[in-house]
Amino acid sequence: MAKARPITGLNPQDPTGKNARVIAKVRLEDLYSWESFVDNPYNIVELHNMRIAAKRLRYTFEVFEDVLPVASKAVLKELVQLQEELGDFHDSDVMIALLRLCLGSHDTATMPEAMHLNGNNQHAHVKSLVSAELIDDLLDPTVAPSVEERYGLEHFLQSQEQLRKKQYDAFRQHWFALQARDFKRQVLELLEI
Amino acid sequence: MQIQSPPPMRAAIDIGSNTIHLVVARCTPHDLEIVEDQQELVRIGESVTATGEISQEKTKAAIATLKRYKALASKHKASPILVVATEAIRQASNSAAFLEQVFSKTKLTVNLISGTAEAALTFFGSTYEVYKEPNPPAQIGVMDLGGGSMELVTAKNMHITWRTSLPVGSGWLHDRYLSSNPPTYDEVTVAETFLQTYLRGLQLKHHPPVLIVTGGSANSLLFLARSAFNWDVNQTQLTQQDLMRCQGLLLSLPAEEIAQRFEQPLARARILLAGALIIQTMMTRLRINEIHVSSHGIREGVLLAYERYRQRWLEIVSQSAEALNHMQPSNGRSEGYIAYTPEGEPFAQSGRRLLQERTQTMLEWPEEVLKHEDVEAVHKMRVAIRRLRATLDAYQSICDPKSFKKIYRQVTQIADALGAARDTDVMLINLHAQLEQVKSEDKAGVEWIIERLQTFREQKQLELESFLQDLDEDDLRKQVELCIQEGVVSHGKS
Repeated sequence: MAKARPITGLNPQDPTGKNARVIAKVRLEDLYSWESFVDNPYNIVELHNMRIAAKRLRYTFEVFEDVLPVASKAVLKELVQLQEELGDFHDSDVMIALLRLCLGSHDTATMPEAMHLNGNNQHAHVKSLVSAELIDDLLDPTVAPSVEERYGLEHFLQSQEQLRKKQYDAFRQHWFALQARDFKRQVLELLEI
Repeated sequence: MQIQSPPPMRAAIDIGSNTIHLVVARCTPHDLEIVEDQQELVRIGESVTATGEISQEKTKAAIATLKRYKALASKHKASPILVVATEAIRQASNSAAFLEQVFSKTKLTVNLISGTAEAALTFFGSTYEVYKEPNPPAQIGVMDLGGGSMELVTAKNMHITWRTSLPVGSGWLHDRYLSSNPPTYDEVTVAETFLQTYLRGLQLKHHPPVLIVTGGSANSLLFLARSAFNWDVNQTQLTQQDLMRCQGLLLSLPAEEIAQRFEQPLARARILLAGALIIQTMMTRLRINEIHVSSHGIREGVLLAYERYRQRWLEIVSQSAEALNHMQPSNGRSEGYIAYTPEGEPFAQSGRRLLQERTQTMLEWPEEVLKHEDVEAVHKMRVAIRRLRATLDAYQSICDPKSFKKIYRQVTQIADALGAARDTDVMLINLHAQLEQVKSEDKAGVEWIIERLQTFREQKQLELESFLQDLDEDDLRKQVELCIQEGVVSHGKS
């Protein structure tokens, strides 16, 4: 996870409430910088970064809860939901990546996004989601899955992909509902109080 | 011979963060003969702290109490019934709807008063008995400790010279820092750190030699002390030592037992320790060893103000209280008046406080993680470390760069170690949940991956344990304390 970008120009003697608003605005912009990736469910890395940005904005609202307007609680609630939705399908992405790894992903027919990734990218993509240690552990030939286990893993992979689709759809629907009510503007207006 | 008619009977109701309080009294402009004094612990502030608004449940409870009080006031033929609402209602996003609902169900008009008017009325109410005495003290301080806020006023020769309102009350402190029952020593340490740092920001010009404390928590503490230490019922003073003894009791018994043994409502028993901590920290800040507890406050102030100014009571009190805020001596500031709120707390000061609090919270978890009994311990420590990291991110530009780098690296290492364990836990939790749902012929595959992940998780636990055992907690705390230096200008340079 990349470190949050530092926020400059804060005066240590200024009221906390004033600086909190500056920080929250920067984190809000960070979240919206990933906006263009929302519509493609296979922008896995970018959507993961969006999740991190949502988390940072959420924690900024939590850290400065006492100095932001009371109405910020409603914003916080939306951010928690957004982060959870992004987190749910990220967890599914990790599981799908693991399963494909175990099955030798090129064999399987159940991967529509494979169309978007060549062999090298596929490897990098898995590495970005799963730790190298876990990859080594799962690919240990002495514990490779039996035929029966592979059969079960294939079916499980399919159900995970369906679950992932549902989770992504729930996130997308929520995101566009927020867009429809101009959530970003609402947050910015709140930060002007 | 002309027969003098008795003073008129009036009623005043105060809707506060913790309680709704009624007083019915025969009133003159300078004295009250109280015939009814009741309070109900509704804790409206609890729902405002949690959601920003007054819940329907709290609204219903408030309306039921107000109806009962109205009937009681009518029984005494009290008129008018004056109702005021304070901090919790001011803070609530749905205060207008709440007041409308109250009016429609009870026909009582609630005056939503400002913090300034609240302080002035509380001062009148809690000091009128002192000023009846032959030699009242020339300088006096009044602290009204409520559930969601506290008001502090100082006065000289009966005139208010300074006031401030702090959005820290006993209910608020309890909800934020002391949620265990009874609260743990670690929770108390964090709450004390917060209070000491927070009250250090109070810029007092004079330290009043006499402090009167009013509000539900102060009165309940006095009641508890009288019962627990066999005091005389007329005793109204509490010393620092007395408060320490009360804290000892409140830390050793659950709220239910406190409520039962000392005849306190359970909701009040829960927040008493928070009240004791706030009062004691304020006493230390004001350098006094003893307080006088008054059972009077805003309601008595409302009755006296009405008797003095009749229909214009609130207008006149608000104007004179506001005038205090606008006094402009040569330094351009009202004498001794600092509008000190968390929002106005200097950024560097809040940074020092928040970093210490977050570090302390995070360091409460390693012991649980090392026990390896509950997977939630790893999750909770990870959340605590995310909060610490978010705080570091927010304050980076005013931290000493060298200290910041060292702390951040250490915190990231802990986060990574926890992350590897927790991410695997999440996968295992999801897999176990789904194992119930997959067809029997597919179970072997899911069981295979569960087994692989469990082995991996055990390795991660060993690494995590080794990492946490090597963690020098005292060194980390020390580094965090020094991270934002006094008099910092920016980017950690003084």
